[in-house]
Amino acid sequence: MAEQRFIIQRYDPDSAESYREEFSLDVQPGQTVLDCLNAIKWEQDGTLSFRMSCRHAICGSCAMKVNGSSMLACQTQVSEAVELGDPVEVAPMGNQTVIKDLVVDTTKFVAQFERAETWLEPHEDQEPPEREYRQTVEDFDHWSHASTCIHCGACYSDCTVAAVDEKFLGPAALAKAYRFVMDSRDSKREERLKFLAETEGGIWDCTRCYMCVQACPKDVLPMDAIMELRALSIEAGYTNNHGSRHHKGFASGVRKRGRLDEASLPIQSVGITRLLTLNIDAHKEMLGYTPGAIRLLKTRKLLEAAKRHGASQDGREHIQRIFEEVEAEKHHHDVDADAFAAEFETALGSG
Amino acid sequence: MKYAFWPGCVARGAAPELYTSTLAVARHLGIDLVELEAAACTGAGIISDGEPYLQDVLNARTMALSEQMQLPLMDICSTCVGVHRLAAEKLRDVDYRIRINHHLAPEGLEYRGSADPRHLLWILLEDIGEDRINSLIKRPLDELNLGPFYGCYLVRPERTLEFDAHPTRRNSLERLISMLGATTVTYDGMTKCCGFPILTTNKQNSLTMAGTHLDEAQRMGADALVTPCPLCHLNLDAQQPDAAKVIDRRLELPILHVPQLLGLAMGLPPEELGLTRHVVDTRNLLNRLGV
Repeated sequence: MAEQRFIIQRYDPDSAESYREEFSLDVQPGQTVLDCLNAIKWEQDGTLSFRMSCRHAICGSCAMKVNGSSMLACQTQVSEAVELGDPVEVAPMGNQTVIKDLVVDTTKFVAQFERAETWLEPHEDQEPPEREYRQTVEDFDHWSHASTCIHCGACYSDCTVAAVDEKFLGPAALAKAYRFVMDSRDSKREERLKFLAETEGGIWDCTRCYMCVQACPKDVLPMDAIMELRALSIEAGYTNNHGSRHHKGFASGVRKRGRLDEASLPIQSVGITRLLTLNIDAHKEMLGYTPGAIRLLKTRKLLEAAKRHGASQDGREHIQRIFEEVEAEKHHHDVDADAFAAEFETALGSG
Repeated sequence: MKYAFWPGCVARGAAPELYTSTLAVARHLGIDLVELEAAACTGAGIISDGEPYLQDVLNARTMALSEQMQLPLMDICSTCVGVHRLAAEKLRDVDYRIRINHHLAPEGLEYRGSADPRHLLWILLEDIGEDRINSLIKRPLDELNLGPFYGCYLVRPERTLEFDAHPTRRNSLERLISMLGATTVTYDGMTKCCGFPILTTNKQNSLTMAGTHLDEAQRMGADALVTPCPLCHLNLDAQQPDAAKVIDRRLELPILHVPQLLGLAMGLPPEELGLTRHVVDTRNLLNRLGV
């Protein structure tokens, strides 16, 4: 048994006072952060508030920040937490309003699932089955990793986009939307992909920062689900957006010279067609790039970018050949599905 | 010491000072860099937005090139390291590797799965070591308070970066900063996203992210930030005036690349390190060092 210090972020709604309070208690090997919060509440301060229920990483109630990162208090051993910082700092989840101490208002988080309509929309022309809607094991395997979400909110709490934009659907709701896009019993695949690609705060607003993958206690890999939704939405033809134009422009630059073509990418993202058809928003967006471009010009950086430093000639030929081969192969076999499968297996295998 | 060197596109484009400062520092450290001129862009996670398989083939090829040279692979861009390592991780699967190697065979290449792509920052700590670095310091940075700015790919996902096997990677920037005599300023935003990946899709969100982190670091007393990622550098330095407008704060925080910081401590002239080519003026910072 050893004495362990905890610094807990407190908030009292009656006085609207926010403060940090230190507690010390004896900790046994194997004890979790939640065990300690319970001990503090029972033995030192009965007013300390936090959510908890199952203590087995199933109910998703006790997500909070431990030493700055979101995790389940019941799944985190004190010995693990200490490695990331001692004394152990415990704070409520981020990106949501605090109600009291470690309890946050999850209304905004839950509302994102409603916006993304994350429930089964069965085929209307089919007779409802006598019992449940069923599917094969093979069909389930396509999205099984996304089925383990317990709605704890750890991913949303650490999401770097949710931090600056309330409209962003967030990793959990997007992973759930992916689950229904992939579900063979669902009838709204096309509508879902269109919505996710085109709505404000949809799939293209993710920064690929990996916070959600790191935070998720159930290996849902929300960011990977968002990336697969991007590929699926492009494949389904929902490409009239900055994100897919950015992807296309980026890839075509690499195809030509083997390297990123920084100088032409903004124009490609804004959209050459939009610019040529005198779309006012598109021209405003281009104007928005001007101050940045002038700064790069003044520091002689734009000149470097405009040199379009490419791969060696020999390299370019092979890079172009690879682009052509992969494109041809796509018609015969879903190579991208192989790539995603490899990613999920790798992540889960070592997780 | 000799490395297969992948500079990445941005160091050969809009962040040329990263390339020149890397070469300058390598020369003084006695590191031999063989540039991978035939290699392709990593795809930066953007090619994989629509074509993850294609991105894996391109990176398998780069790693196969380094295997062919029998040299360890060195990146100087966090995003490149992250994408290379994610590809290397997936390509441990033999069936997937066989499939991908079909595209490399016409060039006489085969990726055998041995690559361990690392960032210059890790190589400094893991291969060069503190003693050698200490012996080369001519201008200790005692006067400076420096904020680390990791961005994403050098801190997440932890499994891919093998933090468990290499615990020094968890706080590599803080280690380098203190090795060079400066004081580390810690702040919440140091491991968050700079916003650059969505600059062209959602400028408001992108610059709010950059501005928030810059403002926080400045308020915590940082004289400058140091970053291992040239993409972060673009959003934090080149976009700083616009980010200041978006968050409505005054920002004036120079952003240094890792080899620039090391080069300053090694006494190299600012011109050689490209410190005169930043959008946010580095003169005050250099004055404090008496340069």
